[in-house]
Amino acid sequence: MIFTIGDYLAGMLVGAATAFSVRIVVWPGMDMVIAMIVGMALGMLVHLVVGLALGPLIGMFEAMIPASLIGMYGGMFFAMRDSMAAGSRTLQAALAVGAILGAVVVAGVRFYDRTLKGVVIDTGE
Amino acid sequence: MDTATQRKWDAASRNFDLFSYGDDQRLGPHKRELFAKIRGETLMVAAGTGNDFRFFPPGRSFIAIDISEKMLERAAKKAATYRGTIDLRQMDVCQLEFGDNTFDTAVTVCTFCSVPKPVAGLRELYRVLKPGGQILMFEHVRSRIGPLGVFLDLMTPLSKRLGPDLNRDTVGNVQKAGFRIRREENVYLDIIKTIEGVKDRASSAA
Repeated sequence: MIFTIGDYLAGMLVGAATAFSVRIVVWPGMDMVIAMIVGMALGMLVHLVVGLALGPLIGMFEAMIPASLIGMYGGMFFAMRDSMAAGSRTLQAALAVGAILGAVVVAGVRFYDRTLKGVVIDTGE
Repeated sequence: MDTATQRKWDAASRNFDLFSYGDDQRLGPHKRELFAKIRGETLMVAAGTGNDFRFFPPGRSFIAIDISEKMLERAAKKAATYRGTIDLRQMDVCQLEFGDNTFDTAVTVCTFCSVPKPVAGLRELYRVLKPGGQILMFEHVRSRIGPLGVFLDLMTPLSKRLGPDLNRDTVGNVQKAGFRIRREENVYLDIIKTIEGVKDRASSAA
């Protein structure tokens, strides 16, 4: 149970931190392609820092895998929204959207893990 | 002895317990379940700082090797608390100082993500295992899920500077070394796995 809570908190933190870093760097009217590349790079950087910081507590792979997806895709998504001025109006709202995206990705990864977990080959010996 | 690998893991030994704490807590039960299958003369490869000794069934006597002297210094303290006997030796898995057909079981934990020549190391384990012997592995491998596999490929140039490769095909390497896969189980996604291989009695070295 404690690891489940930790997984979600870590994902929400990565999502919020990615949204924050994108909001600081990307401005409305910025070329969208450049903004998305910058957002992806920022997200990857955030995921590395937060993932390495939280990995010792919740497990390196369990921290880094969802964080990589949140950072990479979240960074592009937030950058696209912010460059179009179609994102959240306030910083607080942007952080909330980031946290929600983080939680959704963690839920998706956990669901996928459940479907994959288990025996792949067993000869019964 | 591969001195470059030795130096890398000597350096990593300082923070190894910190970075593996969460994994040990979370994945320990899976390791305990795997190690319950240990039988006969046993060799543990890449003992690290000895974090996994606690998951071995109590009362066993086995040899544990590691390429890093610094890792073994830390492992010695944990070996002393194990309710059994652990003989620690510094050794490269690619140049094992044991005769052919010596062991019944070989155990590895996150080992063949780091051995520079994994198939060569696995062939050495094949050599020292008796016919009918088993290899029990707890390893992380490259994901076959598209975006995750690509991510692990991208991260490997960075991760291998400090520690392991993230994109090894360890199941394939086990087969290339001559083992038959008896059991494979996904522990986390398709990245962390338990792999059980057998050196068949009728087969010759690969």
